[in-house]
Amino acid sequence: MKKILRKKSFLQWVKRLESYKIYAPMKDDDFWNFALINNPKDLNLNHSNTVLSPKKIIFPQREVILEFSTSNDSELEVKEILPEEKASIIFGVRPCDARAIPLMDKVFGGDFTDPYYWKRRDKTILVGLSCNTPPSSNCFCLSVEGSPHSKEGLDILMTDLGDKYYVESLTKKGDQLINLAKNLFEEPNAKDNKDLENIHKDSEKKIKRQIQDIKNIPAKLKEMFESPFWDEESLSCLRCGICTYLCPTCHCFDINDEIISSSPLKGKRVRTWDNCQFPDFTMHSSGHNPRSDRASRLRQRILHKFQYFIEQYQNYQCTGCGRCISKCPVGIDIIEVLNKVENYGT
Amino acid sequence: MEHNAYIPRLAKIIQIKEEVSGARPIKTFRTQFLNKNDFAFHCGQCTMLSVFGKGESMISISSPPLIKDYLQFSILKMGRVTSALHEMEVGDKIGIRGPYGNGFPIEDWKGKNLIFIGGGIGLAPIWSVLQTALGKKQEYGELKLIYGARTSKDLVFKEELKELKKKMIVHLSIDVEEPEWEEFIGFVPQNVTDKKPSPKNAITITCGPPIMIKFVIQALKDLEFEDAQIYTTVENKMKCGIGKCGRCNIGMHYVCKDGPVYSWAELKKLPQEY
Repeated sequence: MKKILRKKSFLQWVKRLESYKIYAPMKDDDFWNFALINNPKDLNLNHSNTVLSPKKIIFPQREVILEFSTSNDSELEVKEILPEEKASIIFGVRPCDARAIPLMDKVFGGDFTDPYYWKRRDKTILVGLSCNTPPSSNCFCLSVEGSPHSKEGLDILMTDLGDKYYVESLTKKGDQLINLAKNLFEEPNAKDNKDLENIHKDSEKKIKRQIQDIKNIPAKLKEMFESPFWDEESLSCLRCGICTYLCPTCHCFDINDEIISSSPLKGKRVRTWDNCQFPDFTMHSSGHNPRSDRASRLRQRILHKFQYFIEQYQNYQCTGCGRCISKCPVGIDIIEVLNKVENYGT
Repeated sequence: MEHNAYIPRLAKIIQIKEEVSGARPIKTFRTQFLNKNDFAFHCGQCTMLSVFGKGESMISISSPPLIKDYLQFSILKMGRVTSALHEMEVGDKIGIRGPYGNGFPIEDWKGKNLIFIGGGIGLAPIWSVLQTALGKKQEYGELKLIYGARTSKDLVFKEELKELKKKMIVHLSIDVEEPEWEEFIGFVPQNVTDKKPSPKNAITITCGPPIMIKFVIQALKDLEFEDAQIYTTVENKMKCGIGKCGRCNIGMHYVCKDGPVYSWAELKKLPQEY
């Protein structure tokens, strides 16, 4: 379904969606981040990219998965805690962040489906916004099979045409949102279609950064597992982990027990994001650590994204958002690393 | 809705046996589920054990699948959860989820000679498959165990090993000399070289510390075992057990799901990072 929505009607559309929880980018000091919108008037789609991707709405940084307690007669009780199921809409999702969601679907699906993830995922509608200008100078979506107007993972893609939005519904969930305010939408005319095409084409030209030849990378990485290259590239790493915390595709997590009271026992089991750049991520209780140095941990991050994930799921586990580059305190740049890999030893 | 894989089932500890005391203590726990027991598993699979308030730890099941009324775990006191388990008493409750992993392909081994090679606590995962093969002795060829520990006190299943000697060949070893020790003195790989098991129609199953496994494989290669005749188990830090939390990987393999059992033919193709 392809429609036109006048910008002046946008607020009215959002008001008609009141039965949903609505998330959108909000500015907090200097940073944009996805937040729950209480008043539709707060909704503003003039954002640069958010610090964190909307991944956190479907896969929160911290969530309780069960509670345990012993009653007075010392009976142990374990209670499953599943997330509430109210349907949500996320507005203003950048196409790179949207493409990360189907990648996470693969991880949290498969042989063992993850109920915490899917309870939220199934009830979430993703409304994307094309990047007419790249929201970051480190955007490189074109290098990883994406684009500034990619529809992958989205239910609706909106493109800013000046005083109106071109609204493409891509799924039944998307159609539903438009049907709730049918009278606000118009049919696109020939000029709208042409404008859309031109804006999309132009937006691609504005992406400046790229990985030279990504197709060779997975095989090259496989050959380079033992290479001293990883020592050199990881020398400056502070193991702060910001690269993976900000990544829209990183899914690694930890599970720990938190005690509220020890007698009688009461507590919860909590899942939190974890980070392959931390030494204790893989450290056995014996002290043995398969990835005990920075080199093996940087190698894990790069190989997971550009070799192992391809082998397992036939996709790169990177959507080119550029956050890990922009925020790395020591300037480790995944594009540079991969371009060096491409040319290494030749 | 499908069963939530993260929710453990409650079980009661029904027996605790002290296997090894001292600085590296090992205890064997038998547990029974509180509710209906439809728990089925294969030899070599693991379970995530919960001590509520402490966390979870991935532990191999040491009892054979044909025993239905309890699950047995032999546990070396090491980290937070295993230390808490060592403090527990009969009647205390733990959580169990799983089983996880691939297990040993024992159906493929019928008619073959099985050589089990273990070091220290590494006998625990072997015990399940060894007992299973022993229970169906007529379906396999010769069964042999080569097992060692640092000292005679560090051997697990001491009484069971005496019984086992009546049923199959058992070669024991300790690392350093002790008075009254009549068997091999030296490391497990040296004992393998000394006993020279024949690769003819044989499968070896080796579990123990990574360094022991490495040298056992070398010893077996020297005895002209093929890579595909050598099986081992890999352990890594795990949290989810279902291939999602991202830490137990060797290359694209998640040990919790795709392992822990590998033939050397498979394992040597993976990045050597474990």
